[in-house]
Amino acid sequence: MKTYLAQRLGIAVLTLVGMSIVIFALLRFAPGDIVDILFSTGGYVNAEERKAIMKELGIDKPLVTQYLEWIRNLLTGDLGKSYRYDQPAWDVIRPLIPVTLELAALSIMVAVLLGVPTGVISAVRQDTTLDYVLRVFSLAGLSMPAFWLGMVIILGLVTWLQWIPPVTYVGPRENFWLHAVQFGLPALAVGYRSSALIMRITRSALLEVMREDYIRTAWAKGQSEGIVIWRHALKNAILPVVTVIGIEFAFLIGGLVVTENVFNLPGVARFLVQAILWRDYPIVQNIVMFIAVVVILSNLFVDMLYGFLDPRVRYG
Amino acid sequence: MRRPTLVAVAAGVALAVVGVLSLTPAIGQTPKSGGTINIMAREDLAQGFATHETSTVATSTPSLPCFSNLVFFDPSKKTDSMDTIVGELAEKWSWQDNYKNLVFFLRKDVKWHDGKPFTSKDVKHTFDMVRDSPEATAKLRISPRKDWYANVEHIEAPDPYTVVFRLKRPQPSLLLMLASGYSPVYAAHVPPAAYRTGCIGTGPFKLKEWRKGEFIEYVKNPDFYVKGRPYLDGIRYVVIVERGTRTAALQSGQLDVAFPGETGRTAMEQLKKAVPTMVFQPVAQNVSDNIIMNTKKPPFDNPKVRLAVGYAIDRRGLIQAAHQGGAVLGAAMLPKPYGVWGMLEKDLAAMPGYGKAEDMKAQAKKLLAEAGITAQSPLKVEMSVRAIAIYLDMASFVINELKQVGIEATLKQIETAQWHATATRGDYQIGANLTGLGTDDPDANFYENYACGSPRNYSQYCSEEVMKMFERQSQELDAKKRTAMVIDIQKRLEQDAPRPILAQRLDYYAHWPHVKGLVAHNNIYNFSRFQDVWRDK
Repeated sequence: MKTYLAQRLGIAVLTLVGMSIVIFALLRFAPGDIVDILFSTGGYVNAEERKAIMKELGIDKPLVTQYLEWIRNLLTGDLGKSYRYDQPAWDVIRPLIPVTLELAALSIMVAVLLGVPTGVISAVRQDTTLDYVLRVFSLAGLSMPAFWLGMVIILGLVTWLQWIPPVTYVGPRENFWLHAVQFGLPALAVGYRSSALIMRITRSALLEVMREDYIRTAWAKGQSEGIVIWRHALKNAILPVVTVIGIEFAFLIGGLVVTENVFNLPGVARFLVQAILWRDYPIVQNIVMFIAVVVILSNLFVDMLYGFLDPRVRYG
Repeated sequence: MRRPTLVAVAAGVALAVVGVLSLTPAIGQTPKSGGTINIMAREDLAQGFATHETSTVATSTPSLPCFSNLVFFDPSKKTDSMDTIVGELAEKWSWQDNYKNLVFFLRKDVKWHDGKPFTSKDVKHTFDMVRDSPEATAKLRISPRKDWYANVEHIEAPDPYTVVFRLKRPQPSLLLMLASGYSPVYAAHVPPAAYRTGCIGTGPFKLKEWRKGEFIEYVKNPDFYVKGRPYLDGIRYVVIVERGTRTAALQSGQLDVAFPGETGRTAMEQLKKAVPTMVFQPVAQNVSDNIIMNTKKPPFDNPKVRLAVGYAIDRRGLIQAAHQGGAVLGAAMLPKPYGVWGMLEKDLAAMPGYGKAEDMKAQAKKLLAEAGITAQSPLKVEMSVRAIAIYLDMASFVINELKQVGIEATLKQIETAQWHATATRGDYQIGANLTGLGTDDPDANFYENYACGSPRNYSQYCSEEVMKMFERQSQELDAKKRTAMVIDIQKRLEQDAPRPILAQRLDYYAHWPHVKGLVAHNNIYNFSRFQDVWRDK
């Protein structure tokens, strides 16, 4: 297990190094930079002033130097200074992280709580009316983008109730119920889509397992449906489901952009788009690295979970 | 320094008195103190509160409550003009030496938000910095409105409460430019870079918190120099990037006031249906849709081709199709009754592109034929446009119009980061553009957008004759004569067609009925100080 973990960690570090190069290069190759944006807000361009600002921000240095400086600073915990806000990037990013993590966690919770049980029921009641209803429900979830569903929720609420969730962040200590609503609705919009995928994977994995000899044996021994399904079948069918949950969580972190925009939640994803538009390299680089770390950690967690769930991985 | 003449001082005092009186709320309404209001912001502050380093309403409008100007446009008057200028930091002012010196007499009871006293040193510091003078005590990173002050030779602060702007030649418009929302006074003891992260002003509200990407919160300034103001305890600009959510937030009452320029005709109609009590103030934005053509490169170096483009585009059709009727016809200056200097409808009707669409297109085809362009040998061009919906809507319409006269344009979307650099360098043939004017003033517009060498003259149009016309109108002291000159210039510009104006955008400024004392102006940049606004709830 230790070797397995060490291998995974090694790959994770290499992935991060690769990611840092890709992020850095992509940003620099994109047309325009922060100085263009600054002049854009001024509505003109001046070559001399442009040079002075580039020097002030350190983006006149060779790209290799800029990259090495970024990595060196990153390793010492210095994320640099936001070009747009003229403030340490960490001070700008820090308050955004809990918002996105909370929303992603809640969304995945909704997805699992909705997806796994419906997947199990659908498999157990295969080809019944209930199965068809649940499959249509999941297909609808896959067909509706989260941002569309989010906007429909907002428009529905304002049309019928003249009310929408708070448009500024409400902390859980400030007002727990308002906080719950503020995060619950977007989590529902995002989680529904993910639940559809989880439901379908659970259903197909379970159906496959249900045809195995050992399940027939369990039925033959006269064990209850609950024991057969939950203890014998689901435990063996859960590996692909865990994989999907891991991938969905990682996907969610980067994919919350539009949902955070629609519900006006001050999270990392929404901020990232603005930072990209502003070519605010210190903010973009560090947020994307943060997302990469979350993705890698969630994959690592899933890999470790494999080891826990499947002894063949543990002892292999 | 020469002493001001008695007449000039009297005129200044009269204007100041009129201004102070006009700040009084409407009769029959007793303003109530207290409460806060939430105002819509469609994006976060672009460069913090550094108004002098940007030309975007995203910075200037949410910064207005923090600052004061020397003079400002009367908050209670809808149309900005020389007659509606009132004193803020200047108690009175006077023109001397045949409009070559402008003297401001400053208030003595003004404190900066950090408690330090305001003096003439702050005024000199600000405007020396803006015009990038060698005498400046600090330097701005960029100064978009440097050209506004090109005629200022020297700024003097002979005593702590007097400031003199000495001009190279008479320029009555200087006062209008100083009254713009883009002309706040900075504190000399605060480095200009500090305004990118915070705000030390003399305005009615003090900055409490700026939570990046989320909100900007102000609280009442208890030391504000106008006694009894502001009425509100605080205001909060809430940043909502998604348009649908912004409208829903206003409709649900989470926001009390929309952002200037945000409420188009369709949005107004939807909101009105949902909330019949919502208040809408139809005003002009002083933002025009226009076509920029590179006059230095073929084919638009040919005046006939440019004029043909001017003729080809059906302005009325554009107003209906792209604005659903939420715009009006106008040339370079805002038309009456929205503005002071614009052309009358009857004069406009004689301008290229303003007549009957079929006749105008026939005229366009004739001009193009003279330039060797026909349906058989169409002109193929790239239409550059900023990759933003409001630009794209207009560009799509224009492309269709041009096709009808034999110009085949393909859309070339340019990201915001590249747009101004592309336009300034002249790396384009033809473009669909939007132009906002900081103040409804001919100098501010002509020198910025049509003068030889101006970095914002994207079409790189340069005519010595027209430059002389600019100079003449700028120095003209007689208002009637000057208006006539300005109209002649507009006619000439439409004929030379470096930047044909297609429409002047309207805004249906929206707010809840409990927000009182808020008057939208025909210029999105020059209101939103909120010192006279109160909450009736």
